[in-house]
Parts: sequence; C-alpha cells; structure tokens
Amino acid sequence: MDRSMFVSISYFLTHLGLIFFMYPTDIIASTDEAYWIPITLGIIIHFIFLSIYMKGLSYFPRKNIIMIYLSHGKIIAWIFLLPVAIYLIMIIIITIRSYSEIITIVFLSNTPLWAIMFLLVLVATYLSSRGLDSILRSSLLLAILFLPLTLFVCFVSFQNVDWRYIFPLTTNDFRFITKPSYLMSYFSIGGVFLFIGFIQPLFTYKPKKILYTVLLLVPFWIISVYIPILTFGNSTVPHFYFPFVEAVDSIDINWLMFDRVTVFFLLSLITFIILFLSLILWMFMQIITTCIPKFRPNYLLILISFISFVCCLFIPDWKDVEDLFLINSPFRFFCLLIVPPSLLILGIRSKRKEKLENG
Amino acid sequence: MGNTMIKVFFLLCIVLTSTGCWNNKDINHRLLPAVVGISKNGDKYKLILELPVLESDNMKIQIIKATGKSIADAVDWLSMNMDRGVDLFHVKLIVLDKQFAKQGLTDVMSGLMRSREVAPNAQMAICNEDLDYFFGNVQKSKPPTGDYLLDFFEKDAGWTPNIALTRVWQVYRSLHSSTRDVIIPIIQTGKLTEVEHIGSAVIKNGKMVSQISPNDTLLYNAFDGQGTQGIVEVMDLATVLILSDWKSNKSMIINEKPFMKSQLNLKVTILETKGNPSMDLIKKDLSTLITNRFHRMLTITQKKQADILGLGQTFRTKLPRAKLKNWREKYYPILKLDFQVNVDIQNEGFLKSD
Amino acid sequence: MKIWLEEIKTVFKECDDFFLQHDYLYNQPVILFGLSTLIDIPQTKKLIEINLNMPKYSLQEVIDHHLVKVAREQNNIIDAILEGKIILYIPDFEKYMIMEVISKSLNRSIELPTNENVIQDALDSFIEDIDTNIGIIRKHFRTKFLITKVISTGIEQEKKIALLGLEAHVNQNLMRKIETQLKEKHDQEIHNAQSLVKTLGFSAWDIVPKYKSTEIPTEVIASLKKGKVVLIIDDFPFALIFPNFLWDMFTTENERNLPIPLMLFIRVLRVIGVIVATLMPGLYVALVSVNPEVLQLELGLSIAQSREGVPYPALVEVLMMLVILELILEASVRLPKSIGPTLTMVGGIILGQAIISAKLVSNLLTIVVAGTTIANATVVGIQNHLMLRLLKYVIVILAAIYGVLGIIVGTVLICAYFASINVYGISYLDYQVSKDESNNG
Repeated sequence: MDRSMFVSISYFLTHLGLIFFMYPTDIIASTDEAYWIPITLGIIIHFIFLSIYMKGLSYFPRKNIIMIYLSHGKIIAWIFLLPVAIYLIMIIIITIRSYSEIITIVFLSNTPLWAIMFLLVLVATYLSSRGLDSILRSSLLLAILFLPLTLFVCFVSFQNVDWRYIFPLTTNDFRFITKPSYLMSYFSIGGVFLFIGFIQPLFTYKPKKILYTVLLLVPFWIISVYIPILTFGNSTVPHFYFPFVEAVDSIDINWLMFDRVTVFFLLSLITFIILFLSLILWMFMQIITTCIPKFRPNYLLILISFISFVCCLFIPDWKDVEDLFLINSPFRFFCLLIVPPSLLILGIRSKRKEKLENG
Repeated sequence: MGNTMIKVFFLLCIVLTSTGCWNNKDINHRLLPAVVGISKNGDKYKLILELPVLESDNMKIQIIKATGKSIADAVDWLSMNMDRGVDLFHVKLIVLDKQFAKQGLTDVMSGLMRSREVAPNAQMAICNEDLDYFFGNVQKSKPPTGDYLLDFFEKDAGWTPNIALTRVWQVYRSLHSSTRDVIIPIIQTGKLTEVEHIGSAVIKNGKMVSQISPNDTLLYNAFDGQGTQGIVEVMDLATVLILSDWKSNKSMIINEKPFMKSQLNLKVTILETKGNPSMDLIKKDLSTLITNRFHRMLTITQKKQADILGLGQTFRTKLPRAKLKNWREKYYPILKLDFQVNVDIQNEGFLKSD
Repeated sequence: MKIWLEEIKTVFKECDDFFLQHDYLYNQPVILFGLSTLIDIPQTKKLIEINLNMPKYSLQEVIDHHLVKVAREQNNIIDAILEGKIILYIPDFEKYMIMEVISKSLNRSIELPTNENVIQDALDSFIEDIDTNIGIIRKHFRTKFLITKVISTGIEQEKKIALLGLEAHVNQNLMRKIETQLKEKHDQEIHNAQSLVKTLGFSAWDIVPKYKSTEIPTEVIASLKKGKVVLIIDDFPFALIFPNFLWDMFTTENERNLPIPLMLFIRVLRVIGVIVATLMPGLYVALVSVNPEVLQLELGLSIAQSREGVPYPALVEVLMMLVILELILEASVRLPKSIGPTLTMVGGIILGQAIISAKLVSNLLTIVVAGTTIANATVVGIQNHLMLRLLKYVIVILAAIYGVLGIIVGTVLICAYFASINVYGISYLDYQVSKDESNNG
C-alpha cells in the first residue's frame, strides 16, 4: 500500500516538534552571527544523507533495515543495529525527560515532573502498541487538528520582528562546527529520518515525496532560529533557554479568545513530540522483537516503557539532560552519517552479486 | 491475550494517576492582580498589587501591599498571609517607582523574564509620584466597568500615539542590546482626568537617564512604526490631523563617523486654521515644527548616550559587531542626522481654502 | 408418512396456534396445517382453491405441474411453518406442498423515519421485514448490479441476513470476509447488533461502532454506490452499513440536495460541534483549576466571581452537572412522548435556575454544559452521539489532572484510538472504500 502521504505527514510533524524547542537554542549558542550558515549546513547534510539512505533502501524492495542487515550476516547486523538501538532508547529517555522539563517550566509549574513524564510515556506506549498504521493515521488527524494552529502562530510570530537584526549576514568564523551545542542541534536534524527504513515491508512510499517534505521543513528550521533573533537581537537571545517560546510569548494579540497563545502553540508541538516518541518506541520495538522473538511484543513494550520511565526518574536536572545529549551525539552521527552509506554500499554489492549470478 | 493485558494496564495507569491530584487551586481561590507597582527601599522591594474585583454588577478595585527581599519573596509572603494564593500571570501593567527606575531595573527585569509568571508582553510604566499615593487615588476612583489603568494603555481603547507602549521583553532586550534603548511612559495622578501622561522616561541599560515630552514620544512612535494616525498637531497657523506616515532611512559611515539621512512623510488633513494661511505655509510650518522637535529630542538622547530610536540598528550592515558594541559611547553621540519632513495635505476637510 | 405428521404435531404440541384441518380438494382428502397467528386461513383457502382448481386436469397432474414446493424433509416443513407458510398434505399421494399464503398483516406500514430526521429527501424508512426492506432499496435503486446474498444463521432462532453490495463498486474483499464469517459461524444466534459484531469477529467493547446504522434507504443507496457493504437483518428496522468512517459523523446524504457551499457550511458546523462537545467541559476544568493564565483577565474575573461560594472543585462541579444532564437526556428518551416536555421544563428551567441560585455550580458552567449538549446533538447518528458523550469524560478527567496539556493529550489518545480501529483492514479514518483488493495492513 502506498502511504507516502502519511509518511510525509508524520515526518513533517515529528520534525516540527523537534525543531521549535532545542534547535534554536543550540544554533544560537554555537555561533553569534550569520546563523543561516550552520542551519543550511545541517539541512544540506540532512538532505544528502536522507537521499543516500533512501537510495540504499531502494536496492532492497520490501525489506526494512533490520532485514537488510540480518541478510548480510549476524556480525554486520550487530555492528549496525546495536548502536541504532542504543541511539533509539537514549532518544526516548532524553526526549521524555527534556520535554517534561519544558512542560513544567512553561506551563505546569505545580505538577510534579514524574506525572508529566508518566503521561508522555503512557500515551506514546499506547500509540506504538497500536502499530505503525495507527501511528501514521493518527498523524494525519493530529495534522488536521493542530497544524493550522502551529502555522498560525508561526505566522503571527513575525509581529515583533526588526528586520535589521538579520545583519551581519556573513562571517568568517566557522568554529561552530566543533562546538558541542552545534552537535546537539543535530538532534532536530537527524532525529527522525531512520524511521523511513522501517516502513518498507508494511507499506510503500515514494522517496521523492519525502524529499519534498524536507523542502517544506526548511522554512521552519530557519524561522525557529531567526524569529527570536529578529525579535530580540543576537545579544539578548543567548540568555534564553527556549528563544522561540520567548519570542512567541512576546506576541500581543488581543482579539483571540485566550490570553496566552504560547500555551496552545507549545501544546500542539507536544502532540507532535508524542508522535515522535511513539515512532521511536515502535522502531526500537522492531529491533528488539527481532532479537528476542519469544516474548510477546506487547509485554516487552510495557517493560521497555517502564524501564525508560524509571531511567527518566533518575535524571535529576537539566544539566544532566544536556550531558546526555552530548553522550548521545556519537550515536546520532553514527545513525546520520554511517548507516545511510552502509546501506548504499550493501545495496550496490548485492546488486553486483545478483548480476554475477545471473550471468 | 496481550491486547486485554495492555488495556488493563492502561486502565490501572489512569486510576493511579487520577489519585495523584496535586495542588491545583481553582480560579476563585486565587488573587489575580492586573497591575503591579514596584518600588525599592534600600534592599527591600515593595509590591503594590491592584486587584480588580467584580462585585455583583460593578468592578471594585482592591489594593494590597507587601514587602520582601525579592519580588517572589513579597508575593510568597502575600500568598501566605492572604486567604488565597497570589498569581501574577494576569498582570498587564507594571508601574515602577521613578526613584527605583533611576537606580536600575536590571535584576527585576531579568527576574520577570526568568520566572515567566508575568507575561513578557505586559506593559511597563513609570510613576512620577509616590506609589502609595498613586494607587491610593486609583482605589478611590471606582470605575464603572473595566480597569482604566489598563484601558489607558490598551491600543483598542484609551491609547494615543503620544504614549509609548513598552513591554517587559522590550525593556529586557534593551538591557543586553548595544544599539537599542527604550522609553517608558511616565504617569501620575491627573488633576482633571484620573491618570495623566506626562512624557516618557529614557531608559539606558536598565536605568532611567532622562525624560522626553509626550510630543517627542509621538515622534518616537512615528519613527518606531507604531503609527501616528489620528493625532492632532497644533501649530501657530493651523491645527491638523495626521492621517498616515511612513519613513525611510539611509545610513553611511564616512571616516568612522556615522551619518544618517531620514525622511518622514506625513499625510494630514486640516482641522482648524487661524486666519487664512496658504497650504504651502502650513506644510512648511508643520515640517519645521517636527524637524525642530526631532532634533531637540535627538540632542537630549545623544547627550545621555541612549539610542531610543534604535538608530544604531541601521548601521548593522555598515559596522562590524565588535565596533557596534561601542555604538552608544563612540558613534551615537557624534551621529549626524539629516532629518526631513515631507508633508502632504491629503484633503482640507469640508471647507475650501485658497 | 403419517409418522411425520405425528412428529410435527409433537413439535408444535405446546403451540395452541398450530392448526390442522381436514379438507377436500378435487374430492381428495387433504390436510392443511400451519400457524393460525401468521396465516389468514379463510383467504388462504380461497387462494388454494383458485390456484389448484383446474377442471381439465387431475389433482395428480396439477400437483406435478403447479406446486410450489414438494417437501421431503421434516425440518424444512417446520421452518416453513415458522415462516408462516401453509402446508398442504395429500395423504393419498403422500406428498407435501409448502404453499404461499395470504399472511396476516403483522408488519407495520412504511412510515417516516423516527430516529433520524430527513430534510428534503425521500421520507420512507425501513421496517422490520427484511423482504420489504430489500424491496424498498430495489424500488429506490433500479439496477441489475445490486448483489443480494441472503444468509441465515442461528439454530434456536433462525435469522435471515441479507448482504447487499453493488457490483463493480463494492469492496470485494470486505464482502467476501463478511460472507465467510457469517457462513462459518452460522450456528451463532444473532439477536442484536452486539451479537452480530461478535459473530463478525470484532470486539464488542470498542466504543466506535464498526457499522453505521441508518433507517433511511437513500443513505443505504449512497453507501452502496461508495462501495460499502450493507447488512439488512430480519426484524431490524435499520440497515447496517460496513464499514463506518469517522467522516460519516459529519455527513448525511440528504444535504447533497443543497448547493455545495451550504452543504459545506453544515458540515463545518458539525465539525465544530464535535470539537466543542468533546473539549468544552474539559477546557472549563482546565482553565478554572489548572491553567487560569490562559483565560482573558476579564473572563477570569467573572468566572472567579461566579464561582465564589461554590463548595466543590471544578472537576466535581463539572461532573455533577454533566451527569445531571445525561440523566435528563436519558429520561427524556425513556418517558412517553406525552410527559416528555414536562421533563424538559423541569430539567431545563427549574433545575437550571435553582442550581445556580443554590450556588452549587457557577454561571459559566451552565453555559458550558448547555453548549456541550447542544453541540453534541449536531452529530449524525445516535451511536456517534453516544460515543462523543462518553469520550468527553476522558478529556474532563485528564484536564482535571494536567490542565490544557491533559486536553491535548486526551485528544491525541482519542486520535490514536480512532486510528487503531479498522474493519477487516479498512481504517476508521479512511474516507472511501477502495474497490481493489487491499491486503491487511
């Protein structure tokens, strides 16, 4: 079944969820002028490696990346799938922990952290227990319900911009590449795209449509950094933990029914994050169930959710979350920079073999 | 069955969470101040909260006061000693004591932005008199509906372009920015009306350094793009109504010295005239009036090195950031600005004049 | 053969409406039997005489030529009797005939739909008789492409189920699955929609109905054209349309008689209605008790003032009010139509006024609750209406714990739940049935 639209929508939504919180903070911390350079670099990397990834996958029709690696021997499977699995479970824990913290900071200061984490885990587990089809389909519903609101807020967030803050446009300072915060910004860039490799045997998709989706996302990567910059100027923004949230907060619309637009904006993003969590959880489950096929998947899922919830409880403060982000970086870059080429190489090799066998 | 198992699990979870109802105060158990007055005595902050209270059909205004080592401390003290919790999230206006503004607002502004309890788009104002006296008068006033202090600054209600509209985040931005300072409107108890607007305070790096008149504020708003529509300008020869305005800026650096060319275009209509002046005369009169006023304001702020108009912003393309950091001290005082006012008389009202 | 007759007599031993009459036809002794409650006997006798009285031929020839059915098995006879046929037994030839009869008119006539409202469209509705129902559909939809498959299930009580589809439109996969499922479980008794859903292999605990039920033939025909499968069950005065879609909640067929902008307007209203009905009470709880900063100051003040002196927390207040309203709704369904209005008055005016002056709930809440109930009524289909009524409680409870976050997460949960529901691989969130073979995703 062709599910390009659903895949594109969930790809779009999950990225939106990731972009607006941490990404501007990291980019702004990594350099102090010409932010578009690190942004574009990230987007180009994303685009190139996504194309390589999908090209590699196209050599193996009706196979997901687990099947592909397994068909090349157990060792290769272990080498590639283990870091991916570690990356995924870390992402689950980090995302739950950090976004619960964001929720408490922004609008639920009275609610204990564990309760929010619990809610996120619960909903994500439920969603992923219903399988990929449900996740993809609910992404469509969520898009219909919450995307208009998000776009509206993105649109009105231009209210306070001072375009002169866009200057200077050039810089000869490229040290940002080595900055840890820049590496952390790849959380929002390389966070989701692995999941393209998991949909194959269940559904099909058109790679071109996914690439168009990435193009649609480009303005959001730029907006998320530049709106705060244009509103506050680049000497004020580094003081904020969540610059975009702050920029949205400074909007003044008095004809709306409710007072703080931010809350609704953030909450829509939270729904996208829940979608993201459930996708990651589902991907992780795919790997785990192929490793331990004896267990009932649903019991395993509950167990894993529970473990990640407990792990989240053991992360005491925001500093540790940031440390975890850093520790996670090597795995992230493994998934971003090594997995796609490896698939491409495996694909080309197996094609050659086929040709030899066929004479 | 795995499916039943999962359902039972989720049901259990929901039951478990619903037992964890925590301290959520209903809205009628909270005090929702709309205006906060802040002053500082030594190292103690004094907080005056103005609470609009609906009582049957009309609004009453309640004033409560507290002191503390910090704002949060004062609020906490209040919550402890009142029958309700005090929440600042509906605060729409923050009124600062003039002396306090002169001492510096940096800590307060950072605190406000950090806690996020007060919305970053709350208005700021400075009170020209003792806060106790001011709020005492506010309490006496008994408004029929609504809160006039808020309406005074509401763009849809009592605001006019003579009043600066400055929000918390703008003041916070000015603390860190090297090219942008802000002005905060100054109010006091009025003799004829309840509140009187007497001009704007020039804030540089979080400190009040000078003061400009309402007319200057109008120019500031025109320059800032807040709009000057509907403003009556009184001159020697005529009284005109400004219908619309737009401006264009050009900046350049020659020999390390900043130059700027700025043009303000006004479209006006004539309301009243004295005698029978020609249209050209009115145009000329208006443009000299505004040009002079502008230059006077610029000189004041240049002396105080407070770039309230954000003129430094236009030099972002001309100066590197390292140099721009010294904009206020090095460049702004020697900025030469060629200000031109171009007046178009869009119509002359219902009467012909020749 | 006499033994058979005795056996049939023993089967109907306890039925006093079973009759057995000796009579003569062509001077031959014949025995007529059947259920007198189902058959108009004098009229039927006349019919038999007219039909079989052919002077040129002997009875033997007439029977060979003219008979409707020669019965060979006892079970068939019993079934035929229960269906309301008359049995003609000719002892001399030892032959049974199952004959069509003039039945007593036990069916009501075709009337206006009572559970659904139709504006400017065909006003007939289904009745209890399956043949009449199929007949109505045939009358509205003259086509040779209508597939009608009749399957009977049940041992104790045989139930006829007709499976309708439109050739070249119908989703073959769905049709085949339903058919095989019904045939495989032909021993299941189907008394109601619950047992039908179970027979078809779905969980009866899903609150989202798997089928859309309607009593309006035009609705059925539109669904047939869209490739859906329609089940018509004997004694059910409505048709079950498989599968049910989320979008069906917002559309009825008769608004297609309106210009498109008006149709869209109505549908948008229903969407708003559904959103308001599910979210409003939750939003009230969230805004009043957890996230008051989201309220406009003026609104916040007036809510605070009207809640002044209300002893309960917002959650209890809302639940109390909602339950009272549910009770009123339920009671007005139960009561005879003549007392119904009284209830509305008592519930709406007296209780509504009193509950505010007694300071049990705030003014705004009554508006919220009333708005919710009204909005809830805009939805199409009674099942959907009930579903939304139930779902709003999930949101209310989550809102009481997590505030606005709870509402949003509740929405996500509901979306996820909707997304996970499917009928043989056709998702609830689809908006059309594809006619091609789809594998089960």
